[in-house]
Amino acid sequence: MTSGIDLQASFIEVLTGLGLPAGVAKVLWLPLPMVIIVAAVTVLALVSTWLERKISAAAQQRIGPEYMGPLGMLAPVADVIKLLFKEDISIAKTDPWLFAIAPLLVFIPVFLSYIIVPFGQNLLITDLSVGIFIWISLSSIAPIGLLMAGYSSNNKYSLLGGLRAAAQSISYEIPLALAVLAIAMMSNSLSTIDIVDQQSGYGILSWNIWRQPIGFLIFWIAALAECERMPFDLPEAEEELVAGYQTEYSSVKFMLFYAGSYANLVLSALLVSVLYLGGWESPIPVSWIAGWINVSENTPWLQLLTASLGIIMTLFKTYLMVFIAILLRWTVPRVRIDQLLDLGWKFLLPVSLVNLLVTAALKLTFPVAFGG
Amino acid sequence: MLKFLKQVGDYTKEAVQAAKFIGQGLSVTFDHMQRRPVTVQYPYEKLIPSERFRGRIHFEFDKCISCEVCVRVCPINLPVVDWEFNKETKKKKLNHYSIDFGVCIFCGNCVEYCPTNCLSMTEEYELSTYDRHELNYDNVALGRLPYSVVNSDPMVTPLRELVYLPKGVLDPHDLPANTRRPGQLPEEILETTEK
Repeated sequence: MTSGIDLQASFIEVLTGLGLPAGVAKVLWLPLPMVIIVAAVTVLALVSTWLERKISAAAQQRIGPEYMGPLGMLAPVADVIKLLFKEDISIAKTDPWLFAIAPLLVFIPVFLSYIIVPFGQNLLITDLSVGIFIWISLSSIAPIGLLMAGYSSNNKYSLLGGLRAAAQSISYEIPLALAVLAIAMMSNSLSTIDIVDQQSGYGILSWNIWRQPIGFLIFWIAALAECERMPFDLPEAEEELVAGYQTEYSSVKFMLFYAGSYANLVLSALLVSVLYLGGWESPIPVSWIAGWINVSENTPWLQLLTASLGIIMTLFKTYLMVFIAILLRWTVPRVRIDQLLDLGWKFLLPVSLVNLLVTAALKLTFPVAFGG
Repeated sequence: MLKFLKQVGDYTKEAVQAAKFIGQGLSVTFDHMQRRPVTVQYPYEKLIPSERFRGRIHFEFDKCISCEVCVRVCPINLPVVDWEFNKETKKKKLNHYSIDFGVCIFCGNCVEYCPTNCLSMTEEYELSTYDRHELNYDNVALGRLPYSVVNSDPMVTPLRELVYLPKGVLDPHDLPANTRRPGQLPEEILETTEK
């Protein structure tokens, strides 16, 4: 396994070559990946809102956004501009502090979680040893924000939406964590880089989805519930609750909720591709192809190709999952709140526990295939 | 123990069945994605109304004999016929005639019963106004040439409705000229029955 391109090392090398001390070069490097990731995530979330409209339109034999830019691609930009310029309405008799903090509390953890999402061997902000665990812990902050939003709005629909959101997030956190735990057990690490590395070697055959099919389904269902996507979108069920906890929000605060929900969807899809679909690995490893055409893996152009192919692969898998989520939205009806909790506690939780136990047993019996 | 195992088995069966149904549903939505949109881009494209479409009513002032049959057959006695008796000619003279399209239900009874055919249906259907009183058409407004989708506006692409497309064609765009709809046209049916 080669390390691939190390952008940080090369950047610091270039700057020290220009006569800067290594410490200063490192300080100059530090904000770069964060700014890039925040910008990239915003773009990815905007792209998914566009995809949502286009795919929804296609599923209903409509055209969708068409005149705003080529194929309506500027529609999300128009959205953002509109929301930025809208009046920020502050409602009488709300709790102004909770009302203002709530969207931030939903928005920031989602963007913060991107620090552990890898787009390539070295293409992530930081390779934490607790890796995937930080995502699970950060994602439990969001329900507090939702509850705050619902409570501070001083509106019964908002409160109901907030309560539902909290109940839903808490009950689906556990199967989600258990599914991740099975993966962490197989790869002997919580670091996202190690999890992907453990899936490399045999191309598409070594991806975790073949070893954890049940875990994959549990993770995807729980992730959809965490994102409040269609079968589980009762916190903002428009037919019953207007828009749930978002009812009283407008302009920038609403945009934070909106961007947060789509960034969360992209994040969940990214993590599915990292945990189950081999992250940045191609279905046929690039190193094999390099071996067949006799190119050393350390050739600069091949490394560049591998890195860009890695990013493309990650995004392709991610948007495949986003596509499935959107298609599911127009396929399945919304579950009731009692059905939702039934599914979470009586089905997903036992199944994910059994899945964890079976994984442990398989790991002990077949240490070769299940990461001994 | 056996009972418990049976319960587990039933539960699994149900779960598998649910998954199967969701899969079926997904394949339906996925199949819809490759169908062509049925959208009519309204201000630029308009559907041609069908032959017996009941649109705005057209009125010919000179043909009217003020018999008030239209008022009597109207479900809500809507047409307003303002006439006076001319003693010299011993005939009714029509002064004003009006129909309020904000109240009209476009049933076509007046057109059906008019003895002099001074009332007729048009294919004009874009009647929206900012003020409902503007919908109260007097004899001048009723006598105007109706808007036609086919030749009134060069910006508008007229599109045929699904029934008027050739057999098997679902897309009304870019049809070659003189394409026929399936089956015989009404006048052709008349010709065959007369023989």
